Amino acid sequence: MVLTSLSGGPKHGYAVIKDIETMSGVTFGPGTLYGVLARLEEEGLVESLPSEDHRRPYRLTGAGAAVLRERLEANVKVADIGFRRLGALGA
Amino acid sequence: MSSASAVDLAIRCYPAWWRERYGEEVRTISGDLTADGRSPAIVTLSLLQGAVRARSRAQGMPKLYDLWSARTRVSIAAATLPWMLVAPFLLMAMGTQSLHSTKGPVYFSGSSFTMTHLQIAGAPPTPAPPLTPAGSVVPFASLAVGVLFLVTLAVLACGWTGLTGAIRRSATPHRRRVWLLAWAPGFALLADVALVVALIQVRPAGYHMTGGGPMVPIGGHPFAAHVLGTVLGVVAIGGWLASIVCVAVAAKRADIAPSDLRFGKSVSIATTTLFALMLGAYTTWGIGLYVQARQATGGNFTTVAYSHQDLWIPMVLLVTAAVVLSGFSSRAARRSWVVLSTDIL
Repeated sequence: MVLTSLSGGPKHGYAVIKDIETMSGVTFGPGTLYGVLARLEEEGLVESLPSEDHRRPYRLTGAGAAVLRERLEANVKVADIGFRRLGALGA
Repeated sequence: MSSASAVDLAIRCYPAWWRERYGEEVRTISGDLTADGRSPAIVTLSLLQGAVRARSRAQGMPKLYDLWSARTRVSIAAATLPWMLVAPFLLMAMGTQSLHSTKGPVYFSGSSFTMTHLQIAGAPPTPAPPLTPAGSVVPFASLAVGVLFLVTLAVLACGWTGLTGAIRRSATPHRRRVWLLAWAPGFALLADVALVVALIQVRPAGYHMTGGGPMVPIGGHPFAAHVLGTVLGVVAIGGWLASIVCVAVAAKRADIAPSDLRFGKSVSIATTTLFALMLGAYTTWGIGLYVQARQATGGNFTTVAYSHQDLWIPMVLLVTAAVVLSGFSSRAARRSWVVLSTDIL
């Protein structure tokens, strides 16, 4: 969800939390978000940008975009199968 | 406590590298969230959970030798110290063993765990009823707890000598002070031995029974023996606890070589494994005691009792918590060592 949020352009932590809330209804706490951001930064999937105040923005890297694309395609495949099976049931 | 100070307190629970990297940013965003109507308690709770994760997983920690070496040392200490804190109390919580039958008190000859030659006291002694099937398991489980305690103590003694040697060879700042701290268990043991020797010197050789009156000590200095006995108890328990703290502080401060860290990591894994086996043996012991008591009600059996068997449930809970902490810490020590050896060294 964090990668999806950052695919819309660089955002600072607060903006990511609000974006995820709007996008999926999931409420992230700051402890959860910064745990995820630290891991994604370590894996090279996101990077921080310089900032003059303490609201540092983060953006998706090329590797992050590739990983996000791969995961979304997998999700779409699962969703397609699910819809097809539901259709077969006549539901 | 105001919401800002609760957030500050939660941020202080994170490791120093994390606070340096994300601290100000998280403080600002937490302020934004609470100003936006988010409950300060929920924000603080989320930060505390994040602090636990940051400490346990170290995700995002810069790949610097000092940071990962310190993490390995702290993890080794956290894997071994729960055993030191809990294991002696586990032995005390088992208490001493006694045997009972409906025909009278039972005694045995032979080894204490096979409990062969059970006899009922009397003139002449008569053969006692056998132990129940579950009762036969109990002495073996009790023996296993004792053996595992001694083996773990030997493993930790190796680890401790490794730590003191590593500190002596290292370039740790205030090396002598740290080395003395690491020697705290040795000093505590010496103090215990000195007090035991002094106690042997002053205690009465025996007691004379007077007809219905109080027991009269024969020789020695009963008052001094009483005082020394009390001091010995305080020094033994206090010294044990102080040793744990001192070794933990020494392990945190010592800047020891990678080969010594690898040895410490192996000691922590061995300690956790032995500790888990000890918990298994202790659990089996308690279940065996419970089952044999039920078996004995239906037949003519000798039952096994221990003086403190009622402490079994609280001790199982305490030891399980200590084993889990030790397990997580030894896993953290192993992972930190992998990062150190593959990514940094």
